[in-house]
Amino acid sequence: MLRGALSRAIARPAIAMATFLLAALTCIPAHALPAFNRQTGQNCVACHAGGQFPELTPYGRLFKLTGYTIGERQALPIAAMAVASDSHVSNTSKSKDPSADFQKNNSLILATASFFAAGKITDNLGAFVQVTYDNYAGQSDSGSWHGHSGADNMDFRYADRVISPENDLIWGVTANNNPSLADPWNSVAAWMQYVPVPSPTSSSFIDGNTPYPGFAAGGNIAGLAGYLYWNQLVYVEAGGYRTANGVTGFMSAGVPKDEKTKLQGTNPYWRVALNKEWGAHSLMVGTSGMVADVYDDPLDTSDPSSVHHFRDNGIDSQYQYLLDPHAVTVQVAYTHDSHRYPYFLANQPVVDVDGNPLPNTNTNDTTNVFRAKGSYVYDAKYGASLAFFNQNGSTNTALYDPTPVYGNISTNPGIRGFTSEAFWTPVQYLRIGLQYTTYDKYNGASHNYDGAGRNASDNNSLFLYLWGAY
Amino acid sequence: MKTVTLSLLAIAVGLAAGCANVQRSRDLGNPDVSGQTLAEQVCSNCHGVTGSATSPNFPNLAGQQEVYISSQLHELKGHSRRDPAGFEYMWGISRTLTDKQIQELAAYFAAQKLRPQPIEGTTTQIDGGRPIFNVGIPAKGIPPCHSCHGPDGMGNEKFPRLSGQHADYLVKQLTVFQRTDERPEGSIMKTVAHELTPENIVDVAAYLQALPQEKAP
Repeated sequence: MLRGALSRAIARPAIAMATFLLAALTCIPAHALPAFNRQTGQNCVACHAGGQFPELTPYGRLFKLTGYTIGERQALPIAAMAVASDSHVSNTSKSKDPSADFQKNNSLILATASFFAAGKITDNLGAFVQVTYDNYAGQSDSGSWHGHSGADNMDFRYADRVISPENDLIWGVTANNNPSLADPWNSVAAWMQYVPVPSPTSSSFIDGNTPYPGFAAGGNIAGLAGYLYWNQLVYVEAGGYRTANGVTGFMSAGVPKDEKTKLQGTNPYWRVALNKEWGAHSLMVGTSGMVADVYDDPLDTSDPSSVHHFRDNGIDSQYQYLLDPHAVTVQVAYTHDSHRYPYFLANQPVVDVDGNPLPNTNTNDTTNVFRAKGSYVYDAKYGASLAFFNQNGSTNTALYDPTPVYGNISTNPGIRGFTSEAFWTPVQYLRIGLQYTTYDKYNGASHNYDGAGRNASDNNSLFLYLWGAY
Repeated sequence: MKTVTLSLLAIAVGLAAGCANVQRSRDLGNPDVSGQTLAEQVCSNCHGVTGSATSPNFPNLAGQQEVYISSQLHELKGHSRRDPAGFEYMWGISRTLTDKQIQELAAYFAAQKLRPQPIEGTTTQIDGGRPIFNVGIPAKGIPPCHSCHGPDGMGNEKFPRLSGQHADYLVKQLTVFQRTDERPEGSIMKTVAHELTPENIVDVAAYLQALPQEKAP
């Protein structure tokens, strides 16, 4: 039964993707390379471990920390990427309205596309600017989807390096729109991810929508940070983030006003990492944190006490074994988030679907997210990975939601499961992958988490994608 | 006020960027950047600042023959060397180097002293490689390595230094010579390596990597 469903889920989009793949391989000239490749003339594997994005090799880390300035400045430092995908949720029957709850299930879609302007500007100044188009960003009242473009990752940096046989010091200043974006390791919040990330609204249960260690303030804010990397051994970064507006408003361009993160004042971010490289191995152990005050209503920041106070602390580690043609990576990350609610959301009465009173909402919450991922890539072509995710935290009736499929009647934020992936990269600018995400806990329960009989495993999702870059 | 502050900051960064020091440039397209600067700011990322590479993915360049480094950079720049290690990493790096920069790079790395590195092979492999280096495999017509690369494996002008080179790199290059035509400049090695078994290649590479310790007084 499951095999039949999976076969059907895979077969149709697979044929379409195969056709696209053939066309793409035929049409794109063999020398096609994205912006950084054009700047350095090097293959993707020079900077990306086994060619899997966005994970950086030791060389890629140095390329980034020295401000993307290695190579030759390009007259037109631009690149683009696009993702076509198809996702399949294991069980769509436990829903009152499957066509509304699983709108793009089993549909081959052009999910997202990104435009990049990236590379060397001067000897010391470089940038990485990504703008992403989500083809399924929203829906009209009539139900038709519409796309939307917005600011994605943006990192502008000035960097210098003083190096001798005795000492190696890289230092820099980064202006970016996402805490940890400037980091060169991929176990931090901004970078520990499966790529490509699909349109979030069209594939609700695939890995891109599972819990990831991160900072509550999220992206699309504006920050300035300084960093040091000494002897490729110690990395320190510290800075502060504010609302992206005025001269930094472009860092949240395209984000709807009511979805913008509005921060109160300057919110500190810090990062310390220890790195060791020996032979083909490298190991990093690090910690990072952020304290943020986020306005509850982005459209009304008149009341200074209407903020959520977040205190995030995390530890993370990344191990790599890179020796052509083998690339082995293990990433582990854990974040503890402490959340204090604004007065008008704390200690509020809640009733269940039958009108029975539940305990009042919490004044404070804690949430912990753990994630581990291991991957192996052979010859930068054939890759596989397995990831485990586990989110737990305090029970809070503010989470009470009896809505079928997406609801939560346990009032606990617990989500736990695995994601596995296999991919093939026939050429370095094209990848086809198959991802499967399984859940044994969703919204605090394994069984009947929504009060309508839906189990966590009903959300198990298959995700097939074709990624291309130029 | 905030806007003014940020604008001033942007101007400051811009001015600082304009004052870039060619002594610390990573610009591969600027012929005014010296070979030593490129070695320190760019090559060091993989090969180490003094040419002792931490990762065996990348060859040690310290104490390598100056003539050999120079010829390899020209081969890479001209794309006549086209093994994976060459085109994936080095075609781009070398594409705009001037003859002067190449000469300076070669001189810089040739003058460095190879940092002592851990033994990468097993005792059995090293023992297996020793006779190949010293006497070759006469039954297969394979000459001893030292006949061209010197009694201590230190190389001789166009014949590269092999002593202390990463074993994995040597294995890959011997395999390239043996099975492909991706390094036409080393065609002589195609004949030499033709009859080597995979075990022979691993053994001799392990011995060569351990040579600095082997020959240490």
